[in-house]
Amino acid sequence: MASGRYRRVIAFARYLTVDMESHALRADLHDPAALANLGHIEVAARWIVDGFLSGLHRSPRKGFSVEFADYRPYQPGDDLRYVDWKIAARADRWVVKQYEEETNLRATLVLDVSRSMEWRGAPAAQRLTKLAYAEQLVAALALLLLRQRDAVGLIRFDDVVRTSIPPRARTTQWRRLVGALTERAGGRASDLATALGQAARLVTRRGMVLLVSDLLVDVDAVLPALRGLRTAGHDITVFHVMDPAERHFRLTTEAQYEDPETRLAVPAAGADVRAAYDATVDTVVREWRDALGALGAGYELVLTDQAYAIPLRRAFDLRQRRP
Amino acid sequence: MSFLAPLFLLLAGAAAVPLLLHLLRRNVTTRVEFPAARYLQRAEQEHSRSLRLRNLLLMLLRVLLVLALALAAAQPFVAGLGTGHGATALAVVLDNSLSTTAVDDGVPLFDRLRRAARAMLLAAAPGDRLWLVTADGRLRSGTRQALLAEVDGLAPLVGGGDLPLALRRATAAVQSAALPARVVAIASDGQRTSWARAVRTGVSTTVYGPGSEPPANRFVTTAVAEPSRWTPRGTLHARVSTPDSTGYRIVLGDRTIARGAVGRDDAIELRVAPFERGWQAGRVEIEPDAFPADDVRHFAVWIGPAPAVSSTPSAGPFVTTGLSVLVADGRVSAGSEIRIASADAAGSLPALIMPPIDAVRMGAANRELARLGIGWRFGPVDRTGATVKGARLDGVRVTERYRLIREGTSPDDTLATAGGAPWIVAGAGYVLVGSRLDPSSTDLPVRAAFIPWLADVLSLRLGAPPGERGAPIVAAPGAPITLLTGIDAFENAAGVRRGVDDGRALAPAERGVWFMLRRGRRVGAVVVDSPVDESVLERWSAEALASRLAGGNGRATTSPDRWIRDTYASGTRRPAVTPLLALALLLIAAEAAAVRSSRSSTVA
Repeated sequence: MASGRYRRVIAFARYLTVDMESHALRADLHDPAALANLGHIEVAARWIVDGFLSGLHRSPRKGFSVEFADYRPYQPGDDLRYVDWKIAARADRWVVKQYEEETNLRATLVLDVSRSMEWRGAPAAQRLTKLAYAEQLVAALALLLLRQRDAVGLIRFDDVVRTSIPPRARTTQWRRLVGALTERAGGRASDLATALGQAARLVTRRGMVLLVSDLLVDVDAVLPALRGLRTAGHDITVFHVMDPAERHFRLTTEAQYEDPETRLAVPAAGADVRAAYDATVDTVVREWRDALGALGAGYELVLTDQAYAIPLRRAFDLRQRRP
Repeated sequence: MSFLAPLFLLLAGAAAVPLLLHLLRRNVTTRVEFPAARYLQRAEQEHSRSLRLRNLLLMLLRVLLVLALALAAAQPFVAGLGTGHGATALAVVLDNSLSTTAVDDGVPLFDRLRRAARAMLLAAAPGDRLWLVTADGRLRSGTRQALLAEVDGLAPLVGGGDLPLALRRATAAVQSAALPARVVAIASDGQRTSWARAVRTGVSTTVYGPGSEPPANRFVTTAVAEPSRWTPRGTLHARVSTPDSTGYRIVLGDRTIARGAVGRDDAIELRVAPFERGWQAGRVEIEPDAFPADDVRHFAVWIGPAPAVSSTPSAGPFVTTGLSVLVADGRVSAGSEIRIASADAAGSLPALIMPPIDAVRMGAANRELARLGIGWRFGPVDRTGATVKGARLDGVRVTERYRLIREGTSPDDTLATAGGAPWIVAGAGYVLVGSRLDPSSTDLPVRAAFIPWLADVLSLRLGAPPGERGAPIVAAPGAPITLLTGIDAFENAAGVRRGVDDGRALAPAERGVWFMLRRGRRVGAVVVDSPVDESVLERWSAEALASRLAGGNGRATTSPDRWIRDTYASGTRRPAVTPLLALALLLIAAEAAAVRSSRSSTVA
């Protein structure tokens, strides 16, 4: 007999299947916390990517991942869409166009698994930790890229590089990535510069680097590593993951607010510093956006209560611009 | 500033809460995990000046808010807010004692006092609490209109009233009111005898007085019939207080029995043997002056045949001699109506009874007392010297007496005591003396008071029919009196009757002679006259009176307008609750605005 959790997953999948046809609800637009309750990261990633792809107006296979290679004679059973009708009219013979799939993009997903990422500003039933959200996002990004026959790699880091998986386009890569994502994090401080250096070593050819982090580091300490990646010709997109409670300070408690990584404790009355804090975060976001923009890197602020479709769309657009 | 509920000022202590929070916030020990603490630190560093100013402003606003709310809860009253006068608890003491009927500048002084009191009440505001207290101590509360009607309906008392009592009640009334301004306003002629006692009100007091010298007053101070039972001859003693000579007239019943002129310090003594019989009303009149209320004084007298008295040898020689004097004077006659004898030989009542000559007859004497229904017995002899206390008998010495022992529940009518024990007692038809009326037992027989005392005993105590009162009762109007049993009405000489309330033995409120009626028969008289003190019109000045009554809290004036202004001046403090609540609302709005403005400014 199927367990209750399994029944819920089946019911939701059926629901998604039905609903995807009507485009009324897609998993990539669903609430992340609710979605995480329904299935394993692997299953959820499939739902998200399926939902995301179903929302596109054309098939990615027709769009960019298939290149013309040669002609061959028509055989019964071939799809008539691929018959070259001009040749048929001119030479009175039916030929079928053949295509060659491309696998020349190498994408590296760089995931911050430091201690600060394991925080949420609301109860577990309502919101994911930044790390859980980021892992789900990374899984979905990886699946999306793999479905496009791209090679995808993964780097997980905190104060050291915890996981380093070179980019591959093989079908087993997806399983490998998911397996790495489900490993426990170290729960230590971030060393983003080291992680980006490792990414540069992993991606020897020009490729794409997608960084998912809460960016609780100094901008100046990270910029040299990013500049190196850009010099090497990599496209960089940074997904700045923030909990909504970090983006807009809504705590009212009079307390010592302590950073779990650095043990920095700041005494404050929540209501009193709220406005100043929000203004500071605005400044920080602007600084990151400006600094990354100056390097030619993309920047996307992602809140953990946002649907996954937003960062996925960002990554998809970036991939579209690649040859 | 004053407060209705000053205890709520303790809430002002809560103002320390935002202050302490502001000062102690850096010492908070609560730790909250927050990864973006670096942003908080940066926010505080970058906005430290504005944050400090804002926090200081917010702290001040919150402290002020708490203070404003605490003040509002205490319900303060503050001078200088608005116009008019604030809510005032006002008791107007209107002196309507008899002395205010004196004519001053062509009108009775009472009319001026009443007009001033009316004006005072008319100036009251709807929020005031008002009382009206008259000289008799009667307290009235009500609306302005109701009290105005009361003032219009007031008449001067026929007596002096009790102004200190009125003042105490007025003070208690205003002190019971939960209003910040409490004032006792007195309109009085300031008569010295009425305000002889200095009464401290303890509240703000304003006094309105006439400010003029009292008119020269002539008045009859006394009019007394001696004895109170004329048999049928008697003497009327009268005295008139007058700065110069004045004419007088003495009336008995409807008949003028004497006229004449009396000079300063002269006494009037009129010996008469009128033909009227029974209880009679009389009066002594002088020429009217500016204070007519005391130009007449009344008296009452019983006129009839002299009682017939006989004495036995057992009464002793001094009694026999005294009786012969009274017979010679016509005060009594020889006969057997009243007996004077030792107890063992009394025989019948009424009788003046004394111990037997021989002590061995004491048993027979007590048996005779029992037979006559007398509730007293002779006890053991007491030869310790003692001094007597009693009417006409003060200072008499007793060297030998038999203790008088009460039997059963005989009425306790002790006429004199010796050494604190009953010595002369009386009852229905008897007067019992504990010593023989002989110099070997007491010096009474050899004193000048002996013959008058004997005359009174024979004519008043024993000569009056059983149950009647031999002497009239003299009382002030409305004063409590001791009535004879069975009295069912008062009646004056004109035939006007007043009922008697058994629960309230009070003299009639109108002056004059009121006969006590028992089943329609006159059995006594009550002479109702104003106290002589009320005729002494010397006044305190308004300032002196205010000082006597209120010390530094008193203000005095001879102008009604000034009196009204002074009275309501202490009520110019107005409630400040509404302004304080408005201030609290403003502070709340300012606090909200400070929070919003700081947010918008920092974001910008």
